[in-house]
Amino acid sequence: MVVSILGSQIIGIIPLGDIVFYMTSFNLFMFAAALVFTFIIAISKTETQIEAEFGSLGDREIKVAKKEFKFRRFLAIICGLATAGAMVTGDLFDFTLFVCLIGIVNIGIVGAVKQVDVLDSAFQYGLIAMIASTPLFVGASLILAATGTISILAINSLTYTTPMMLFGSILLFLGVAGETGVAPFFATKAEMFRTPGSPFLLIIHLSSLLIIVRVIEILLIINKPF
Amino acid sequence: MNLMLNILLNVFIAFFIGSILIGLQRKIMARIQGRPGPPVIQHLLHTLKFFIKESAFPKTAAMPFYVAITAMLFVIWVAAVIDGPVTEGSLLLIFAIYTIQKIGEHNAGSSSGSPYGKMSCVRAVYSAAAEVPLFAVLIIIYLKAGTMNISSIINYQSIHGPLLFTIPLAAIMFFVLILSKSQYSPFAITKGKDIVSGYETEHFGLLRGYLMISESIAWYMLLWVFLTVFLGPLSLPAYLIGMVVLSAIVAFINAVTPILNPNHSVMMQVSFAFIGIAGSIVLLMI
Repeated sequence: MVVSILGSQIIGIIPLGDIVFYMTSFNLFMFAAALVFTFIIAISKTETQIEAEFGSLGDREIKVAKKEFKFRRFLAIICGLATAGAMVTGDLFDFTLFVCLIGIVNIGIVGAVKQVDVLDSAFQYGLIAMIASTPLFVGASLILAATGTISILAINSLTYTTPMMLFGSILLFLGVAGETGVAPFFATKAEMFRTPGSPFLLIIHLSSLLIIVRVIEILLIINKPF
Repeated sequence: MNLMLNILLNVFIAFFIGSILIGLQRKIMARIQGRPGPPVIQHLLHTLKFFIKESAFPKTAAMPFYVAITAMLFVIWVAAVIDGPVTEGSLLLIFAIYTIQKIGEHNAGSSSGSPYGKMSCVRAVYSAAAEVPLFAVLIIIYLKAGTMNISSIINYQSIHGPLLFTIPLAAIMFFVLILSKSQYSPFAITKGKDIVSGYETEHFGLLRGYLMISESIAWYMLLWVFLTVFLGPLSLPAYLIGMVVLSAIVAFINAVTPILNPNHSVMMQVSFAFIGIAGSIVLLMI
């Protein structure tokens, strides 16, 4: 049987017990992009940030220490794999868990640096991410309560949208927005990018944007058009 | 036509027309500002020139990440051409490609170690927060047409008329997004001249050539998506005329508007996005 999601045909599914991964051209592209970036991050060195020295004509080099580098690289790889998983999962609860994991490792990636401003912003982002986990899981629970399933494929075959599904979707979106630190929560997160370690910062940005794109797909599947 | 040939032809057309349109923009802007301006083919010549220039790599760069990011930018825009004009596939996929392009901007800047690149990187994070909601205009298209497939959206418009007239606010939102991506726009904070060339500052030779090819294809693709999803089935001359008209309008706005500071730029784009999404949903419900 040919199953299509938002006009794209499903290329294949990977059933892992209750959790089913599915792939359309859209999911496959995002999954591949997340994996390629993760691989590049895993093999890359960090840049040396050059800043003007105060009170003299010299330059100051800011580098990432080896111990810090190893720790941040490990977390960046975990973040990349979690992002790739979130791109293809067909289980709503599984998706929320991936999003939570991404929020935690994002804080860890910048938590290892020794710049006070960056740590401050990571702390504020951490608070928002923790608060956002409530609407995230409540949203998924309400969708489960309203539809009787957390399988995105099963929800795709429903022909109706109830007000409770819409309310659950709004909470889910708020949760994802807080966890990934996008607008209107981006102000704290942008400051985190001032630290050196470009490849690791990439994965923070990449995970946020890809998760937002994926959640839009999920919300469009749950909420049918007018 | 053979698929591979079709892809190569479309990528070449996207690069060539995109380059000429960017050159045209600069020419129109110059004439409005009372300058002779560069020739229309200047951007194209610049791009080709970089492929025969020596490539230099900063010793502070994050290797091989610094090189890979330019290749990734090029590859994703080629993927956009395949998903768009070649196969008329998923509109959602073009949204995904656009977000990855924002990541490319961010990391092309930060990977060099230059303070100008770093500043552009931080601004790219800000601008992503504003441009991604603007691209969410695609949700409105889905709510109206009931599909995210480009060929189905074209079919929908051939029956019901252009979406430009049924969801005008969404079209305005998408136009603001196109404006944001033009080189001298009031929203082009990642490439403001106060930070030299932004994320491109420390990329030379071949790498800069790839960045410029991506820029040309990106411009062509954004115009193509706008014309396709808001005006429906168009002939080739109509596409060309549409692209020239849109580029001329953008050039006029850029010529008479100064670049905004990052906070104002983001707030203005977010306001456009909010008004566009909320207004379109209200219009759809009435």
